[in-house]
Amino acid sequence: MQIMEKLTMYDKLSILTDAAKYDVACTSSGTARNGDGTGIGNCSQSGICHSFSADGRCISLLKILFTNECIYDCKYCVNRSSNDVVRTSFTPDEICELTMEFYRRNYIEGLFLSSGIVKSPNYTMSLIYAALYKLRHTCNFQGYIHVKAIPGTEEGLIHRIGFLADRMSVNMELPTAESLRLLAPHKTRKNILTPMRLVQNRVNENKQEIALAGKAGNLARFVPAGQSTQMIIGATPESDFQIIKVAESLYQKFDLKRVFYSAFIQVNEDRNLPAVTGEGPPLLREHRLYQADWLLRYYNFAADELLDESNPNFNVLLDPKCNWALKHLEYFPVEVNHADYNTLLRVPGIGYRSAKRIVQARRMGILRFEDLKKIGVVLKRALYFITCEGRLMYPVRLEEDYILRNLLNVRDSVPDSVANMKFQQISLFDDVRFREEQFQVLPGEKRTEAERILG
Amino acid sequence: MIRKVYICNDSLTGIFSAIYDAWKEGKSGQEVGIALRGHLENRLFCEYTEVSESEKKSVAVERMIKKNLGYDTYWDIYHALLADDCVKADAVLGAMLAARNIPDSRKIMTYLSHPQVEKVFELSRSVANEAHLFTGFVRFCELENGILFSEISPKAQVLTCIADHFTNRFPQENWMIADKTHHMVLVHEAGRHWILAQNQKLDEEQVRRTSEKEDTYETLWKNFCTTISIENRENPSLQRSHIPRHFQQDMVEFDK
Repeated sequence: MQIMEKLTMYDKLSILTDAAKYDVACTSSGTARNGDGTGIGNCSQSGICHSFSADGRCISLLKILFTNECIYDCKYCVNRSSNDVVRTSFTPDEICELTMEFYRRNYIEGLFLSSGIVKSPNYTMSLIYAALYKLRHTCNFQGYIHVKAIPGTEEGLIHRIGFLADRMSVNMELPTAESLRLLAPHKTRKNILTPMRLVQNRVNENKQEIALAGKAGNLARFVPAGQSTQMIIGATPESDFQIIKVAESLYQKFDLKRVFYSAFIQVNEDRNLPAVTGEGPPLLREHRLYQADWLLRYYNFAADELLDESNPNFNVLLDPKCNWALKHLEYFPVEVNHADYNTLLRVPGIGYRSAKRIVQARRMGILRFEDLKKIGVVLKRALYFITCEGRLMYPVRLEEDYILRNLLNVRDSVPDSVANMKFQQISLFDDVRFREEQFQVLPGEKRTEAERILG
Repeated sequence: MIRKVYICNDSLTGIFSAIYDAWKEGKSGQEVGIALRGHLENRLFCEYTEVSESEKKSVAVERMIKKNLGYDTYWDIYHALLADDCVKADAVLGAMLAARNIPDSRKIMTYLSHPQVEKVFELSRSVANEAHLFTGFVRFCELENGILFSEISPKAQVLTCIADHFTNRFPQENWMIADKTHHMVLVHEAGRHWILAQNQKLDEEQVRRTSEKEDTYETLWKNFCTTISIENRENPSLQRSHIPRHFQQDMVEFDK
């Protein structure tokens, strides 16, 4: 391991940004807070994107590692201890300076601080605590802070950090305990879920305390924007079904705000990792998982409705909602002027915003297809599934093959970000199943994984 | 029948004054209309009148909208009138006249099947969206005298929409945001409320003199933006769809 002492701020920022870039979340949403007038900063509920990098991802927070020194040797990670890379650390003062000066110029919405593990989880987290304390109390920074909680940190420290941060996240890293054992030998599932549970309980207690004390109490808020997590997709042989089952349990049992999925990117060579294939990261798969994730959170879908044992992976050509609708044609067509909100939500081409507008607008009169267009319904997808005043828009047949053929002619069923990728489209060797032989995971174990651990 | 068309300047005071005059005159969009100076298309069967603009008329209309149509409708109308669009004033007048004919005038913005209500709704949404984007895309640079200075080229007159946001965010800073398209400057003095200066010429010389440390932080930021991108995922068209070119021209990280 190389430790270089004399690095400039420019070099340090390069190294520690480069090491942090694989972290997914750059959201600054979930909390609304006005500045108190004495310091600097505020937060907006929906979050604000400040820029977009060349890969099209949003830059909202200053996403850096505290240090890329790490005692762990996770096989997929660029900072694993056995990699020979330049190691460096920020000091709390440097973190404050960067955050404050970037924030003043409106470059960023706040700080996203993660870290490699130097010496021990407790030692690392106490350094992070020192940096955040200074930022909040000396610099009087009132913007957004997202901090990673490192599994294995003692409870008291997580409590104290939670009062300084807006969002906390513990990385799931990989969807199943089996994969974790294989690729992240120093981490265990139990270790990861413990701080998650801790934060969840503390958030609930804190809400009750605040409710009891009332406005006059003016109590500090603990992790007001809730917690999130992320999993790497495509490094291990889990099916999409297993992954969204895990996500569903996390939402239900741990009250998570978001689960992020990160398409696996080959940065290390290891016999336990998928072989280098020359393909890019599985972006289409990641995209489908995000689509399904939205269906779980906003559209009242259950994981079991979207996929099942016999059909464990998402359709390459169709988004999960269209796919579901085609398999459940018995629910369609839906009469837009009468159907309730939840039924409207299930129609492809109608989002939760347009569903809400439909319910509002039809009080004023009968809706026609022209009105739906103005409301924001994507008619080229919805037209097979809806009627207005008992009439279809065009004489179409309610048959799976017919609709599928027509939907595929509409180009935007696969978004630009993935349509242009060379490797994608209908490949026999798409993602998951192809790599299965590389792992020795018993089928029975895979199936019950989600329920077993989270149960 | 002859339609009376009122001609006014493209400003809030101008358009509200025109609405004041038109409101007294006609009951429907067939009878009265508003045209913006510079976007006039003379038509048959129209009688054109110049509006005498005054603050008093404008305040009266503002009060009337808030009282009879509700604050939410005022919010939509206000945003729609900041748009870069030559029929916005006529659309707002049309929507306000339509509100007379429905049972609850406060609900006028839900009557999207009315073409002019829909127009107002669309304009308001697009201006509010643009303003929201600028809360993120504004880039300040620190001048020699410590003032944070920014230049933007928005399509709509968004300065007043983002003023409260930045005042709340940087209460203890002196900052200025200049709108190059509409020649307006938003000025905030530490600890005070913001003000909007119209038709102001900036001292070009002064705003080019940046502080000593400015270059350092700009370089660090540019470096950060380049480094944070993942090579294997690069996708310039996705980047452009999130942040179109006309926003990029005023942002330091897109400087070549």
